[in-house]
Amino acid sequence: MPSFKLDGQEIPFEPGDTIMRAAWRQGIEIPHYCWHPGLSVAANCRMCLVEIKAERPMLLPTLAWDESKKEFVPSTKPKLQPACQQAAVEGQEVFAKSKEATHAQGSVQEFLLLNHPVDCPICDQAGECKLQDYWETSQGKLKRKMTEPVHKPKGVTFGPTIVYDAERCIMCTRCIRVNDEVVGDHVLDMRERGNKNEIVLSPGRQLDHDYTLMSEHVCPVGALTSKDFRFKARVWFLRAAPSVCQGCATGCNDFVDFDPRKNTVYRLRPRDNEAVNKFWMCDDGMMSYTRVHQDRVTQGVIRNGESKSITAAEAVATAAKYLAKAEGKKVGVVLSAQHSTEDNLAAAKLAKDVFGTDKLYLAALGGWKADKILRHADNNPNRAGAERAAGGALKPVSELLKDVASGAVEAVVALGWASAEDAETLAPLRKLVATVSLSSNIGALTEVASVVIPVASFAEVDGTFVNAKGMAQKAVRAISAPAGIKGAAETISDLAKALGKSVAVAPADVQRVLATQEASA
Amino acid sequence: MEPMEDSFDEEGVLELPVDPMRLYMGPSHPAMHGTIRMVLDLDGEVIQALDIQPGYLHRGFEKSCERGTWAQVYPYVDRLNYVSPMLNNVGFSLAVEKLLGIKVPERCEQYRVILGELARIADHLTCNGAMTMELGAFTPFLWFLKVRDWVWDILEEETGARMTHSFGRIGGMAKPPTANLKPKVRALVPEVLAVIAECEKVVLRNRIFMDRLLGVGVLTKENAMEYGVTGPMLRSTGIDYDVRKAHPYSGYETYDFDVPVGHDGDTYDRFLVRMEEMRQSCRILEQAAGRIAEEGPINVDDPRIVLPEKSAVYDTIEATIAHFKMVMEGLKPPKGEVYGFTEAGNGELGFYIVSDGSGTPYRVRCRPPCFLNLKASEDMIRGGMIADIIPTFGSVNMIGGECDR
Repeated sequence: MPSFKLDGQEIPFEPGDTIMRAAWRQGIEIPHYCWHPGLSVAANCRMCLVEIKAERPMLLPTLAWDESKKEFVPSTKPKLQPACQQAAVEGQEVFAKSKEATHAQGSVQEFLLLNHPVDCPICDQAGECKLQDYWETSQGKLKRKMTEPVHKPKGVTFGPTIVYDAERCIMCTRCIRVNDEVVGDHVLDMRERGNKNEIVLSPGRQLDHDYTLMSEHVCPVGALTSKDFRFKARVWFLRAAPSVCQGCATGCNDFVDFDPRKNTVYRLRPRDNEAVNKFWMCDDGMMSYTRVHQDRVTQGVIRNGESKSITAAEAVATAAKYLAKAEGKKVGVVLSAQHSTEDNLAAAKLAKDVFGTDKLYLAALGGWKADKILRHADNNPNRAGAERAAGGALKPVSELLKDVASGAVEAVVALGWASAEDAETLAPLRKLVATVSLSSNIGALTEVASVVIPVASFAEVDGTFVNAKGMAQKAVRAISAPAGIKGAAETISDLAKALGKSVAVAPADVQRVLATQEASA
Repeated sequence: MEPMEDSFDEEGVLELPVDPMRLYMGPSHPAMHGTIRMVLDLDGEVIQALDIQPGYLHRGFEKSCERGTWAQVYPYVDRLNYVSPMLNNVGFSLAVEKLLGIKVPERCEQYRVILGELARIADHLTCNGAMTMELGAFTPFLWFLKVRDWVWDILEEETGARMTHSFGRIGGMAKPPTANLKPKVRALVPEVLAVIAECEKVVLRNRIFMDRLLGVGVLTKENAMEYGVTGPMLRSTGIDYDVRKAHPYSGYETYDFDVPVGHDGDTYDRFLVRMEEMRQSCRILEQAAGRIAEEGPINVDDPRIVLPEKSAVYDTIEATIAHFKMVMEGLKPPKGEVYGFTEAGNGELGFYIVSDGSGTPYRVRCRPPCFLNLKASEDMIRGGMIADIIPTFGSVNMIGGECDR
């Protein structure tokens, strides 16, 4: 592999790499604003200027202070190059930390802050803002120009999800490029130049496609902010758990940003994965975290003529009591394409080891609008994982309704809140001996159930999700489940115990399920 | 039970077998200068063996430092030797500044010298005053505390607090000196000297005082070196090691002062060394008060190290960012480790600090003079009488806060 030297360190590169990309691959950051690994090169911010050693360097005439003569004397300085645009060349020597390069980076940074408003205390980006980071690493000086800053529009609504602040904007054009190149929708553009420069919407348009939040995600400063996250939390209080998006079968890698003090999830952020989602996520996926706190089942429910709230532990005991009345072979177990492989494996074991039934079904959402970017037609994160847990294809809920009508099923244990059918279609389940729903959220299944047992959501328990490509990906627990509520696998284990049997899902079991299926796939 | 015959010595006198009496002194004892316990094995009044057990005052100071920013360490160092917190503040500042490779302006160095020497006087006044009181001489104790209050009046006016000042900053001090500093210091010096002289007149030739101190609690040069004893306790044995002279900092090399040394290393010498050190501190104070400028910068000129002016924070983005970075993340010394050491009230106060380049200390290891001096005091007390523990231990000037291990 060819290589070049960056500040004395050997950097290997692939042919066609720029200096910036080669350094980025090695985990070395050359200060930059406009460059993004997933976007084209604009080279307009000039923050990544580096010095390149050459046999015949291009020198610019300049004046330098001569201490002995006490005056400025003619001198030269090397012409600096943007690292994001300059192709890496075998054996060349690059200096990103030389005196000339750091001076240029500091000057660029000073220019960018020239008219920047004093917004850090009210800006959502504060704490993860590149302007702050590079002030510290590259500038480190106080203001020299004490004139009134240029004023521009603030709080401009760009669409249902994004607000734009032109004063904070550094015109890196990342948002324009992400819309052009990733989404393929030229909805943003730049107007005017110099002090009047600002980002604008295309005439008659709004920023309203399926990937609007990516504009905010790529913004290196606080110019674009998400309406959902605006003023909700300060990022330095947030911790991130690596997770997997629950939106669809693509299984985009993400970070769940949560506040451990408040046990609250505030947002999702794309986690780079070249093999799955690269750097991006869709809006629906980004917003799928809301399910952790909205429409939650926080208490057990018994519907016995009238509806009554009970604790989770009481719900487990009641469910066991009801299920004991049914004939084991006539119990239908519904797995969930929304739950992790671990949870589904526990449900499959419950069917086999406790009830001895082979009546396994799969509850799943009915699909959504797909596209060629990330969105998969199947809007369930773990259909493949549930099928692997069951050891084969699963029957849909419509088959369950047929079996209920024929009397082959007289009791149901259903995992998850999601189903393509509404409560009206599922109404026959109300008449069964027992319909037990283990669910984190309110849904059609919880509405028709005679016993509802609350379980933890995806953010409250570790889990493995298998995407449409058959890749098993781990989602790490972020927050704790509400008091008394356990993960679905653990709840199923409790339920089995209440029925006098035992269901245990060891990590090795999950590994075996995932490994054998991968080998056969 | 041993056979009776063995207990007769040659002359046929019966020697009853006697076990040493075990006496637990402290941890809550009025003469123990803090929560510390001595386990004594006594043969009558004579101490055969002893074990000094610090650790009753444990706050996990060093571990606590690994949580916040570098600047948030100051309240912790305040509570090391809490009788002279300003010396700890200065010591920690100098250690971090060494790591950063910066030097504070001259005016700040002079200010640190003045505040530090005031704290040293307060420290020695407390130690010697308490010792006289424990020997029954209550009057000098009250005189000393009166003077200590004057010292603390000045420190209060400068820093806002009489004891735990938290006044040091990395790259400077929290505030510039007040206009009253110079006249107040100049007025204080003769008062201190007068009280010292008067006290010496009362106690130094006093029969009881001499009997209780002379030749008691002797520390040999060799023992002192082996135990790593520093400060007045080391100098009382005749070794003239003073960090201010041996490894000058804050411009101490430019001040004219002497390092008093003792001769025998007994409690009387330690008393005398502290008395003389206060006189020398007064000399330094007079010189520093003459030098310190009315105007001039007190902090280094780098917004990445020192918080910018509040008005600038409100008005300019650069200062806002500086403030934000400093408060939320803390200033970031380069990766590395240094040992910064200064002469505190009881000897060499060292900070061995390690930075991983982040805003939070990776490790703050403190070399507290008291802790090492304390261990040496076992040798000084062993073989003596119970009553001698009080002046001997008093002259070690054990401060619980520094023995937080």
